[in-house]
Amino acid sequence: MKKVMGMVLVVGLLAATLLSGCGNNKQNGTDSGNKGEEDSKVKIRFASWDNAEDLDTQQKLVDDFNASQDNIEVSLEAYGDDYDTKISAGMGSKDAPDVMYMWNYPAYHEGLESLDSYIDKEGSDFKKNYYDALWAYNSIDDSVYGIPVGFTTHCLFYNKDLFDQAGIEYPTADWTWDDLKAAAAAITEKCDGAKGFSYQIKADPYDYEMYLWSNGSGYIDADGNLEGSINSDKSVEVFEFFQEMQKEGIAVATEGGGTDEMRSAKTAMYIYGSWSIGTLKEDGLNFGVVEIPAFASSGQDSVSILSSSGLSISKDSKHKEAAWEFVKYWTGEELNKARIEYELPVLNSVVDSEKLMDDEYKAPFYSMLEQSSGYTPTSFVIDQWSVLGDNLELSFERIFNPSTLEDVKTVLDEVAAE
Amino acid sequence: MKKKQLIKKATPYLFISPWVIGFLLFTAGPLLLSLIMSFFNWPIIGDSSFIGMGNYVEMFTQDSQFWKSMVLTLKYAAIFVPLNLGIALFLAMLITQPIRGVKVFRTIFYLPAVVSGVAISILWKWILNGDYGILNYLLSLIGIEGPKWLVDPAWALFAVILASAFGVGTMMLIFYTDIKNIPIELYEAASLDGASPARQFFSITLPIITPTILFNVITSMVSAFQQLTLVMLLTGGGPLKSTYFYGMFVYDNAFKHRRLGYASANAWIMFIIILLLTSLVFKSSSAWVYYGTEVKTAKGGKKK
Repeated sequence: MKKVMGMVLVVGLLAATLLSGCGNNKQNGTDSGNKGEEDSKVKIRFASWDNAEDLDTQQKLVDDFNASQDNIEVSLEAYGDDYDTKISAGMGSKDAPDVMYMWNYPAYHEGLESLDSYIDKEGSDFKKNYYDALWAYNSIDDSVYGIPVGFTTHCLFYNKDLFDQAGIEYPTADWTWDDLKAAAAAITEKCDGAKGFSYQIKADPYDYEMYLWSNGSGYIDADGNLEGSINSDKSVEVFEFFQEMQKEGIAVATEGGGTDEMRSAKTAMYIYGSWSIGTLKEDGLNFGVVEIPAFASSGQDSVSILSSSGLSISKDSKHKEAAWEFVKYWTGEELNKARIEYELPVLNSVVDSEKLMDDEYKAPFYSMLEQSSGYTPTSFVIDQWSVLGDNLELSFERIFNPSTLEDVKTVLDEVAAE
Repeated sequence: MKKKQLIKKATPYLFISPWVIGFLLFTAGPLLLSLIMSFFNWPIIGDSSFIGMGNYVEMFTQDSQFWKSMVLTLKYAAIFVPLNLGIALFLAMLITQPIRGVKVFRTIFYLPAVVSGVAISILWKWILNGDYGILNYLLSLIGIEGPKWLVDPAWALFAVILASAFGVGTMMLIFYTDIKNIPIELYEAASLDGASPARQFFSITLPIITPTILFNVITSMVSAFQQLTLVMLLTGGGPLKSTYFYGMFVYDNAFKHRRLGYASANAWIMFIIILLLTSLVFKSSSAWVYYGTEVKTAKGGKKK
């Protein structure tokens, strides 16, 4: 008897261990497994890269959608900083979320559903309501893979108090880089402990292309060649300009994005996206936002890179129609307004109704948006962007790292040669 | 009769089967899969294609970063292992001293090893900050202007080594238990013969704990080669790739460049290298490790 009891116990434990392992696997997949058959609701997974307060807001918006819908239930998955890794893993195992935030179309478009047919069904006004420049950033080869849900361009942030202290006029939309340099020099001189301008040591190559565009050049020419473009005189001019400011001591190269230095008034000006508006406002910093200065010799307005995010549908989704319904909701007018605190609305109608062009902090971003249409980032064109981007980032570091400050032309020639 | 015999024989296997199944599913299985993947061109999204030794050939002949990262990691291991061993041994000797409050010190010395690697990285990132960091502040108090640890390529590696010393607690504890186990009669006999504390250390303590030293050398060597968390969070491989350890190289190949096949090949090469080095250490161990159960023969005998 004892032996039989012992055996039963062993087998029982064994079974429990094995089944608990299996059970977890099932739950990792969509919840639709068992429940879906009983409820008639279609379950959709929605992945977001936000965290903290933004995530709370998003959860509430998702709950509102679920309450208003009889047939669809959306579950919000917060991936946070690991977003790219998790999405890659999901796509690799053909288990990506149905709806997801997307910005890196070149890398992921093979796992995404083309949305052209869905857009056409909505009628011609649907597309027109979005700012034109955004569609290029959410498409690959003329096929749309994401509905624009947010964007930012970059603008010049400046500390009004430091400007007052140095007795200089605030920057305006028709400033040139020479004006900025002069102001930076004056501020560094007159304000103790502060530098006039700051920029990143580890400049993101994706962002940095905008400075080259502003001076009439770019990473690559029309045929995709680096040589003659990234190391052209105009490109070299841009990098040398920034490097000079550091050498003269009027600019500081920051380890991070530069927002920390702005918040602690260690720098009077820096260029960034709209992400820091909220933080700076909360700090109570007396700051202003203006368009990026133009290069005097370029004869054109400054151009900004667009960081546009869109909402995409997974190619392997089993509920694409339901996913499309959710995408429309999330990118519609109501939600553009609901997210206005941390994401610039992409719909013309919302910009008009909320009078954003009168908002001193937000209007410059829209001006930059209009100045920046017609440019396609190299990352969208080149296949091997991950390798090129790496090389570029390393080269920029060599140029801007205060311990190295290498000669610009040499470094850029090396990049072009690879 | 036969059924009872079968059950009797099968029971131990049933007991270990949960672990065995887990091992097969989660360790051996993926290991085998990654070996297979290393012979493929396997992008994360898209189709994979068989390329035989292609990945390995590319690694050794076309990828300069492979060699750079490998050399860098070897350099790091060469400094990290002796340094950490030395610190661990020193601290272990300290806490074996019979002084008041030694238990408190034992806890304090061990505490950093318990903190999660991520938390340590973030902590050190702030300590090592060039402008606002505590380390530079302390240095300035004695008149030295500290370098920008995480920005200057010349100092970044040293900064990483400094931060990784936090994990020395585990090794220290292992040394401590071993040292505590040395019979006190040996020390008494030595001091009767007039041996100084230093002499006692080198002639009694050190030889007896050589098995533990061997263990710690191997484990710290393996973990040095696999170092990833600290580097990823503290420097991101920079500045200017001066801390781009092999672990980061593999990770970037897998998730940044999305080449799972290539990354798997990288990982297997690392495995082979660690295997080679470990067996080298083992081979050499017969020369310097003293096991208490060995009997000294006339021919054998320990080299000093």
